[in-house]
Amino acid sequence: MLSKSAARLFFLVGTFATTVAFVALTVDTLRQVPEQTNEAQLSPAVIRGKELWESNNCMGCHTLFGEGAYYAPDLTQVYERRGPAFIRQMLTDPEGLYPGQRRMVTYAFTQEEQDDMIAFLEWCSHVDLNGFPPPPTVGVATAPAGAGAVAVPQVYQQICSACHAVGGVGGQVGPALDGVASRRDADYLRRWLEDPLAINPKSRMPKMPLTPEQLEEVLAYLSTLKAGEPAP
Amino acid sequence: MKFKSQRVAYWFFATCMLLLTLQIVYGIIMGFARIGMDGLHPVIPFNVARAVHTNLLVMWLLAGFMGAAYYIVPDECDRELEWPKLAYVQLIALVVTGVTAIIGFHFNWWEGRKFLEIPRPLDFLVVVDVLLFITNIGITIWKSKRITTTVSVLFFGLLMAALLYLPGMIPFDNQTVDSFFRWWVVHLWVEGVWELIMGGILAFLLIQITGVDREVVEKWLYVIVGFTFLSGILGTGHHYYYIGTPRYWLWIGGLFGALEPLAFLGMAIYGIAMYRRGGRNHPNQMALLWTLTTCILSFVGAGFLGAAHTLPQVNMYTHGTLVTGMHGHLAFWGAYACLVLAIITYAMPQVTGRKRNEDASASYAFWASNIGMLAMTVAFGIAGVAQVYLERRAGMEFLDVQRELEVHFIGLLLAAMVFGSGIAAFIYNFIRYGLPVAEPTGPADPTRRSSDEADGVVVPEPAAGG
Ligand code: HEC
Ligand code: HEC
Ligand code: HEM
Ligand code: HEM
Ligand SMILES: [Fe+2]
Repeated sequence: MLSKSAARLFFLVGTFATTVAFVALTVDTLRQVPEQTNEAQLSPAVIRGKELWESNNCMGCHTLFGEGAYYAPDLTQVYERRGPAFIRQMLTDPEGLYPGQRRMVTYAFTQEEQDDMIAFLEWCSHVDLNGFPPPPTVGVATAPAGAGAVAVPQVYQQICSACHAVGGVGGQVGPALDGVASRRDADYLRRWLEDPLAINPKSRMPKMPLTPEQLEEVLAYLSTLKAGEPAP
Repeated sequence: MKFKSQRVAYWFFATCMLLLTLQIVYGIIMGFARIGMDGLHPVIPFNVARAVHTNLLVMWLLAGFMGAAYYIVPDECDRELEWPKLAYVQLIALVVTGVTAIIGFHFNWWEGRKFLEIPRPLDFLVVVDVLLFITNIGITIWKSKRITTTVSVLFFGLLMAALLYLPGMIPFDNQTVDSFFRWWVVHLWVEGVWELIMGGILAFLLIQITGVDREVVEKWLYVIVGFTFLSGILGTGHHYYYIGTPRYWLWIGGLFGALEPLAFLGMAIYGIAMYRRGGRNHPNQMALLWTLTTCILSFVGAGFLGAAHTLPQVNMYTHGTLVTGMHGHLAFWGAYACLVLAIITYAMPQVTGRKRNEDASASYAFWASNIGMLAMTVAFGIAGVAQVYLERRAGMEFLDVQRELEVHFIGLLLAAMVFGSGIAAFIYNFIRYGLPVAEPTGPADPTRRSSDEADGVVVPEPAAGG
C-alpha cells in the first residue's frame, strides 16, 4: 500500500512540475499577447477608457470578453454591433434608448470621457478572442433580411434593430416594422425619422443621430417593408 | 476546548454570521431587480449589490478560515496561541477594512474588476491584516513541539492564499493581461490553495469526529491535495480560452480542467470512507452531517457542475452566462460555506461549553439551507441553459431573452426564502449557544492520540444555563 512519505512525494513533485510548466506558459503568453490584442493600438484614450470602465465598475452589470455580471449585454462586440453614435447615446441617456426596460446607471461623462470609453470598446472589439462570441447556430436569421435590391443598411442593424423587429428579428421596445411602408407614407416616415418628438411629443423613440446619407439609406430600406410581402 | 486562546475563534465565527446575513440581503435585492422590481436602483444599482454580495461572501469565508485556524492550531500543536490579543486586533481591523470597502462601493469607490472590487489602498490594509494573522499562527506552530501534516497543509494553504492576493493588485493597461492575472487570484484561490485549507480543516474534523487513525487520514490528505495542484494549476487555462490569449490554452485548459473534478471526487470518497471506517460515535452528529455534506456538495457544485462547462467547445457557448452563476453558487456553498458552517458547528459546543447541537433549530438550519441552495441552483441552471439556447444559439436579443427568463427568477426567490430561513435558524442556534467560557473545558491531551481525546465527549451544561 501507498505510504505516507510516498504520498508526500507525489504531492511535492506534482506541484513542482505543474508550477514550472505554468510559469513557462505564462512567459510565452505574455510574449504573444501584444500581437493578439493589437497592443500597438493601445492609445492614451484607450487606456483612459479602461480606467473609466474600472472606476465605474461597468463589469458589475455587463460582461466583457465574457467576464463580469450577467445582468446586461456582453460589450465585447458592442462597437461593431451598435456603433459609436449609439454608445454615446447610452452613456448620455440610457433610459431614452431603452425606455421602461432594465435600467443602466446614467453617467455624467464629459464628451472626452465618452470618446475615451468608445475608444476602449473599439479596441476591445478588435482583440482576437479565438472565435468568441460564437455566431448563432440554430436556423434563425441574425439580421433582418433585406428586401429585393435594397440591402439592410448598417446603421439600421446597429441602431434601429435594438428596438424594432423585422421578420421576428430584433428588439421589442418599439413596434415591429414589418409592413410599415404600407401603414405610413414616405413623407410621414421622413418627418418621423427627422424628429419623432415633433410628431408625438410623448414618443418613447428618441431623435436618432443619423447623417443625411444614413437617413436616405434607412428610408429606402423602410420603403421595401410592405404588408403581405414577408422579408425574404 | 483544550486551550483558553481557542476562544478567539468564537468572535470570528460571530463575524461570519453577521456578514452572511448581509450577503443574503444583497442577493435578494439582485433577485428582485431581475424580475423587474428594481426600485432600489437609484441608491443600490445592480453593480453595487453584486460587488457587496460577492465581497461579503469572500470576507466571511476568510473570517471563517481564520477562526478555524485559531481553533485548530492550538489543538493540533498542543499549546496556547502565541498572541491571543493580536487576534482580536486583527479581527477588528479586518472588519473595519471590509465595512469601509462595502460602504465605498455605494459611493462608486472601487476597482471594478470582478471579485477584486476592493479599492487598491484598502488592498494594502487587507495584506497587512492577513500577514498579522499568518505571523500569529506561524509563530504558534513554529514554537510547538509537534507539527502535524494537518496543520502544515492548513498553514501552507493560508500562506499561499495571502501571497496569491498580490498578482491581483498589479495594474495593467491591457485588458487581456489584466484578466490573465485576475485569474491567478480567483482561480488559483478556489481551485488551488483554498482546497488546501479545505483539506486541512476536513482532516481535522474527520480525525476528531470519526476517530480514524491520524496516519491514514493524513496520507490520503496528501494524495488529494496532490491531485488538486496537479490539475488545478494548469487548469487555470480553462479561463484563458476566450480572453485574447494564445490558442494552446484550449488544449491545456481543456485537459487539466477536465481532471480537476478528480480532486473533489477524491474529497467526497475520502470523507465517506473515513466516516465508515471510524468506529466512534461522536456526540456531535450535526457537525458530522455538515462535514459529510461539504465532501459531497463540493463534488456536485465544483466537480460536477464545473466539469459541465469546462470543455472549450461547451464553454464557447456558456462563457459569461447564468450557467456560470449556477456553478458559482453551488461550488462556493458546497465547498467553502458548508466547510465553515461545519467547523462552527463542531467548535461551538466546545468554546461555549453548552450543548445546543441537538436543538431542533440546528437540524432545521441544516435541511432548509441545503435544500434551499439546491433549489436555487436548479433555478439558475434552467435559466442559464435557456439563455445559452436563446441568446447564443438562436441569436435572440439579450433583453428579449432576459424577459423570457424572469419566471425562473421568481423560482430563485422562492428557493432563496427557504435557504434564508435555514440560515436564520443557524444564526438563532448560534446565539442560543451564548458567549464563550473563560476556561478550557477539556483537558489538554498528553497522549497525542487524537482518537481517544476527551474533547469530543459531551460537555456538561453549566448550572447557570445558556
Ligand atoms: C446597473 C447596471 C449597469 C451598469 C453599471 C452599466 N450598464 Fe450598460 N447597460 C445596462 C443594461 C441593463 C443595458 C441593456 C439596455 C437597457 O436596458 O438599458 C445596458 C446597455 C449598455 C450598452 C448598449 C448595449 C447594447 O447592446 O445595446 C452599452 C454600450 C453600455 N450599456 C455601456 C456601459 C458602460 C460603458 C458602462 C460603465 C460606464 C455601463 N454600461 C454600466 C446596465 C448597466
Ligand atoms: C430606443 C428605441 C428605439 C430606437 C433605437 C428606434 N426606435 Fe423607432 N420607435 C420606437 C418606439 C417606442 C416607437 C413607437 C412609437 C412611440 O413610442 O411613439 C417607434 C416608432 C417607429 C416608427 C413608426 C412605426 C409605426 O408603425 O408608426 C418608425 C417608422 C420607426 N420607429 C423607425 C425607426 C428607425 C428607422 C430607427 C433607426 C434609425 C428607429 N426607429 C430607432 C423606439 C425606437
Ligand atoms: C470550490 C471550487 C470552485 C469554486 C468556488 C468555483 C467558483 C467559480 C466562480 C465564482 C466562477 C465565476 C468566476 C468569474 O467569472 O470571475 C467560476 C467559473 C468557472 N469555473 Fe469554477 N469553481 C470551482 C471549481 C471548479 C472546477 C473544479 C471546475 C472544472 C472542472 C470549474 C470550472 C469553471 C469554469 C470553466 C468557469 C468559467 C465559466 C465561464 O467561462 O464563464 N470550477 N467558478
Ligand atoms: C438569498 C440567497 C441568494 C440570492 C437571491 C442570490 C442571488 C445572486 C444573484 C442574482 C447574483 C448575480 C448573478 C448575475 O450576475 O446576474 C449572484 C451572484 C453570486 N452569488 Fe448569490 N445569491 C444568494 C446567496 C448566495 C450564497 C449563499 C452564496 C455563496 C455560497 C452566493 C454566491 C454568489 C456568487 C459566487 C456569485 C457570483 C457568481 C458569478 O459571478 O458567476 N450567493 N447571487
Ligand atoms: Fe477555474
